[in-house]
Amino acid sequence: MLPLTLLRTAVYHPMLVELKNGETYNGHLISCDNFMNIHLRDVICTSRDGDRFWKIPECYIRGNTIKYLRLPEDVLGLVKEDTNEKPTRSGPPTRRPFRGRGDGGRGGHGGRSAGSGGDHRKGGGGGGRGGHQGSRGGGRGGQQGGQLRQGR
Amino acid sequence: MAQVLDAYVNKSVNVVTADGRIIIGTLRGFDQAINIILDDSHERVFSSTDGVEQVLLGLYIIRGDNVALIGEIDEELDKTIDFSRIRADPLPVAKT
Amino acid sequence: MLFYSFFKSLVGKDVVIELKNDLSISGTLHSVDQYLNVKLTDVQVLDPEKYPHIQSVTSAFVRGSVIRYIQLPPDDVDTQLLQEATRKEITQPRKE
Repeated sequence: MLPLTLLRTAVYHPMLVELKNGETYNGHLISCDNFMNIHLRDVICTSRDGDRFWKIPECYIRGNTIKYLRLPEDVLGLVKEDTNEKPTRSGPPTRRPFRGRGDGGRGGHGGRSAGSGGDHRKGGGGGGRGGHQGSRGGGRGGQQGGQLRQGR
Repeated sequence: MAQVLDAYVNKSVNVVTADGRIIIGTLRGFDQAINIILDDSHERVFSSTDGVEQVLLGLYIIRGDNVALIGEIDEELDKTIDFSRIRADPLPVAKT
Repeated sequence: MLFYSFFKSLVGKDVVIELKNDLSISGTLHSVDQYLNVKLTDVQVLDPEKYPHIQSVTSAFVRGSVIRYIQLPPDDVDTQLLQEATRKEITQPRKE
């Protein structure tokens, strides 16, 4: 599975983005592209030292400033659901190959089955601050449980 | 070209990041830029005064720029290590 | 491409890689790609007391961009051939 495929599947989900400068951005993914540029909504920005916060309605992050992204566990399951709809290996070629090869090709098909939230395996993560996550309410809410520990 | 990472997919790996963290997880995918997907991941925080602290992280996409090393873990060997007794400074940042 | 070809000729040999985070690891060169990303097998950290961070790692993929030095086995480097190849490379117009 390609990291950018997973990211595309995570559209509308909450996530945490840490930048190379140590700032973190918690928000809901609106869109992303093949450069990993990402567009977030309902964002809380946390300073590098973790003691200052800003609420931002919307922001756009250039991909190459990102260090890592933290996603809800169940997004992984949603990608699988997508690919399993089509016949898997040994069958005819799938429209979106599970693992792309060569050409760096990321076949389009942003296909985002808004499917049935899968299993909620994780109760809550590490302890810590936050609590703002539920802000958008509705379907997905809680799965990110305890909010994320800030880096060291 | 980096298809050698295929050998690590769905295996437990130890990722050393450029900013000096150690993250353990199951490698679920990667691309040409060495962006990687780590599932069920946790960080091992080393300290010169206390044992290793393990911090749950969950599902991560780590950007290739921030990846220094991806190691295949010998799980049997890993189980025998008593991390509460290990004392070591955290790894430094990989200065570019 | 010269260094890529050069390192390909060293596959199977033992090398020591020093990373930009000061970690040095030895191992057998398993493969190398055009970015000089390197895969090592039978990995061993040179100073395990100071760097217990990747103890249980048996084989590792190292991103070329974080490598500071690669120590080569002197007997396996044909410097004569390397010089010739270098001259050839700079006199010939670059393909690709």
